[in-house]
Amino acid sequence: MRHSRLIEALLFASEAPLSPADLARVDDGLDEEQVEALVAELKQEYDDAERAFTVFEIAGGYQILTRPEYAPVLERYDTVPLSSRLSTAALETLAIIAYRQPVGRAEVEDIRGVGAGGVLKTLLERDLVEVVGRGEGLGRPLLYGTTRYFLEHFGFRSLEELPRSDELAVILAQKQPEPDAT
Amino acid sequence: MTNGLDVPPGTDPLLVDLDQFHGPLDLLLHLIRKQDIDIFDIPIARITQQFLDVIGEMGRLELERAGEFIEMAATLVRIKAQMLFPRRDDEESDDPRADLVRRLLEYEHFREVARALERAERDRLRFHPKGFVEARPRPSLADAPLETEWDELWEAVLALAERLDEPEPSYQVQGRLVRIDEKIEQVLRMLSEQQRVEFAALVAPWGTRMHAVMSLLACLELAKRSTLRLRQASPFAPLWLYRREEEPDAA
Repeated sequence: MRHSRLIEALLFASEAPLSPADLARVDDGLDEEQVEALVAELKQEYDDAERAFTVFEIAGGYQILTRPEYAPVLERYDTVPLSSRLSTAALETLAIIAYRQPVGRAEVEDIRGVGAGGVLKTLLERDLVEVVGRGEGLGRPLLYGTTRYFLEHFGFRSLEELPRSDELAVILAQKQPEPDAT
Repeated sequence: MTNGLDVPPGTDPLLVDLDQFHGPLDLLLHLIRKQDIDIFDIPIARITQQFLDVIGEMGRLELERAGEFIEMAATLVRIKAQMLFPRRDDEESDDPRADLVRRLLEYEHFREVARALERAERDRLRFHPKGFVEARPRPSLADAPLETEWDELWEAVLALAERLDEPEPSYQVQGRLVRIDEKIEQVLRMLSEQQRVEFAALVAPWGTRMHAVMSLLACLELAKRSTLRLRQASPFAPLWLYRREEEPDAA
């Protein structure tokens, strides 16, 4: 069997992203570099044939996903629409954890100015954050960090893809001259 | 998803619904940004008054949330008081507002990150993995109509009994007489734990024809008493025993 077909079979059968290391395990003669070349080849093949899906790089791995233009069609079949969208409180808390990790609950609460217990519980349950250790100081507080699934949920390749401060400054600058609502 | 800043046009920026805000910093930022106030030179007296006016309306807020807003109000009042003390010019770093400004900017930064995350999430949800469209639910065996003839049932049991006989254990111990009421008890016990039991699983622990036959007799006796229901999808298919709930239709 050709290596590219083995890779294709794995990517097709998986519901989560597979890392180059995961994929290389399919055959002893494969290393991660070859896997990356084969995946690129496969992606090219799908792109050339204008398939409805292709290989995307996500959370440090590869996953076959449908192209965004098919989303409206597929969403008609969605039995639980919007179930996976996060609340503003959850997004703000995640933003703080993503940038400040490892970070304790007290710091999260201090930055947002509101209690974080309930939101943290939800984020833990949804596997978006995890306990990564304990801090120094009183009561050795739990420290939180983001998970691999966090990257998957937002479609990031790695934490490097988080919006950077200078990009945000641009957003802020653009927002300033917003006309007053009165 | 709005974040409190999108007050419909034509309304007073100070007329706000507190439920829109994700905490006192969010509300404070709203007041400052909507009035184009320089965040590094906040008119504390004015903002404090506006802040107090807004939370004065919030009688219906639950205690925990109210506490967070009241704590901020106290901070604002304290800063306002400190501003009244004369300051020397060389004490610029001692601006009582400095810490609040730092917190506001920090919170605003993360609020922007949160919005960027929300956009990323929205974009990401346009790419669908396998399994997004759910598989059609399979009809459950319990709903399938009974189409088995008694002959087929017997045949299946005999075939099973024959199979059980083949790997005769090399050591033969004198078998003890198997009693039907013992088997009935065993079937009832298993059915009290599970909704259904496969006949093969019922006889598996005992590899002799005697046990298989007595088990079958026990099942037939229980079926006659309407305590259980026997089902087989097709000839030679696994035979299932179902616990029979109180219902009139016969198996």
